[in-house]
Amino acid sequence: ACHSEKHVGQFYTLPSAHVRHLFPNGLPWRFQHQTKTFNETCIMVRQPALEVISCLKKADYSQPALRYLFYGLKGSGKTLSLCHTVHFCYTQGWLVLHVPDAHLWVKNCKELLPSSYSSSRFDQPLQATTWLRNFKITNEPFLSKIKTKERYVWTKREATEAGSPLGELVDQGISRVKSSSDVVGAVMKELRLQSSQPGADFRMAVAVDGVNALWGRSTIKRQDKTAVDPEELTLVYNLRKLMKNDWSGGAIITTLSQTGSLYTPKSAYLPQELLGERGFDSVDPFIPVSVPNYSEKEFESCYLYYMDRNWLQHPQSRTEEGKKELIFLSNRNPSMLERLCGFL
Amino acid sequence: MASLTRNVFLFLGRTNVSGLGIKEITNRVTYATALFANSTSGNKGLPDRGGRGSVGRRPRREPGEPRTEKMPLDQDWTSVYPSATSFKSNAVPLPVRMGYPVKRGVPPEKKGNLELLKIPNFLHLTPAAIKKHCEALKPFCTEWPSALDTDAKCDEHFPIKVESTDYVCAGPSVRNPSARIVHLKVKLSRFNLDDHARKKMLKLVGERYCKDSDILSITTDSCPLRQQNYEYAKYLLTVLYHESWKIEAWEAEKTAADMEEYSWEDSLSQKNMLDTLLRMKVAGEGEDAEVRKQLLEREDVQDYKDSVVRLKNEGASESSMLQYKEAVRKVFNV
Repeated sequence: ACHSEKHVGQFYTLPSAHVRHLFPNGLPWRFQHQTKTFNETCIMVRQPALEVISCLKKADYSQPALRYLFYGLKGSGKTLSLCHTVHFCYTQGWLVLHVPDAHLWVKNCKELLPSSYSSSRFDQPLQATTWLRNFKITNEPFLSKIKTKERYVWTKREATEAGSPLGELVDQGISRVKSSSDVVGAVMKELRLQSSQPGADFRMAVAVDGVNALWGRSTIKRQDKTAVDPEELTLVYNLRKLMKNDWSGGAIITTLSQTGSLYTPKSAYLPQELLGERGFDSVDPFIPVSVPNYSEKEFESCYLYYMDRNWLQHPQSRTEEGKKELIFLSNRNPSMLERLCGFL
Repeated sequence: MASLTRNVFLFLGRTNVSGLGIKEITNRVTYATALFANSTSGNKGLPDRGGRGSVGRRPRREPGEPRTEKMPLDQDWTSVYPSATSFKSNAVPLPVRMGYPVKRGVPPEKKGNLELLKIPNFLHLTPAAIKKHCEALKPFCTEWPSALDTDAKCDEHFPIKVESTDYVCAGPSVRNPSARIVHLKVKLSRFNLDDHARKKMLKLVGERYCKDSDILSITTDSCPLRQQNYEYAKYLLTVLYHESWKIEAWEAEKTAADMEEYSWEDSLSQKNMLDTLLRMKVAGEGEDAEVRKQLLEREDVQDYKDSVVRLKNEGASESSMLQYKEAVRKVFNV
């Protein structure tokens, strides 16, 4: 994980144990298939991720958390850059709060319950339990170390006392599905409070993919078919609180995503277009990092990697002509290249 | 029966000419299902019938050579087409082709081409013809004032430009209702407007103002007469000017959403930035308001403010994003 400018364009392998823990389902779907095919997880070292990693190395953690935002055209590698950065944080021993795709929380909701904590909000038990499970897998070592500071009452008979380990809180959420969204809120609050304290011995990385979902519109409807504002969802509400930089001792790394977002035009990729007025004002000030298509060198490297893995079977793709065709067809866009090579 | 003097070329190629003593050419078009129009005197005793096919054998008169062959190169075109008429293929010496080509062919030629007849042509408005029109109109015109030889001088002395169109028509009535429309164009920079008045004027006027050329155009057509429309346009201009200077009581309720431009003071962005900086405890401890003012004076905060204002006013683009990024990094020393 000690990458530097010299390594731009080279692939590095993530150990599979790390992958199992860190990304139970955090990697993009196509990339997961590729990992299974090649039997290894390789990410290319690219400039945007390097930039953020160097900022993370230099940053001072008694200051409020800095926000980084990856933005770029569709398929240019934003999610993988995020994963690269998250892996770096993991190897440094940080606590990782990874939300693989915030868009999943604002659409296609099968169960919507009125919140037990606050009557105006809605709960999503299914998504909350999935997230809690993933969180547990990722952050095993921290669950016993961190203790809760407050007392949380779930129902008349169940309560979590102050001072109990975080793992218990998470288990509570997984087993009691009804209150899982509130557990998520509690977990986030605890972590936020604790990492701000000067005596804390851990740092927190909040990684959210598709952060523009938090301030966009949602397709979830109430019983009487009126649309639900994302604010009224407990999960979104708590995540927004995390995104504010009133806590210190960590960093917030996010990406924009047009792919899952609702009611946005397909050609929109700049932060201001996708975040909207409210979103921009909430995330401001942040450091936007642009993720461009592959450069010449990166394209070469990706092509050689596919050749090395014997992924390109077509005889013409191994020639110079074939390479030029691939450059032309995919415009050096990483995802287009990957799809094209899948046919060969 | 109406006898028409016309050159019509027949697709079936049969021409019946009757009335040999008469100069007129009466053509009968024979189609399978059309009725005959019987000719008048001069019938050589043909029996009257609406027959198809077996018309009497009349000697077919060949069409003479087209006029184009006889046209000299330096002829006076204005006399060939003195007014707007349809396209006459034997009077236009150009090898024009028009229409959808048949398979593996070319567009059909001009002889007998209905497409060329259908479209409007401007063969009567060649430069030579226009010169003649101008010469004919000259006795009715007065001279242009010699002092106004540049556009700038015209604008300076006569800032308001009024346009209206006259129509000449030889029909049952000489009046044309479109003649009542009046366009009034004026540059806003000539007006004495302060900031508030200018913004209010732009809001009142809306679409009628063009930002690039700074011209306000008022078009009136609601009154039936041109003179009434002209007075109305002048009245509108006067009213707009005076109203934009007045300040109403309800204008104090202008919200941030109504503002034309983004102003950084008192905005969420400024609040966020200040809160962050305070939390970073960059400045020393002190009075809250003073500390805020000090923070605002800092150069990197000013840079940040410029980049945010640029982003909001101009919209997002790569360069403005880069500028914003640099500004944020400087503020946070990263």
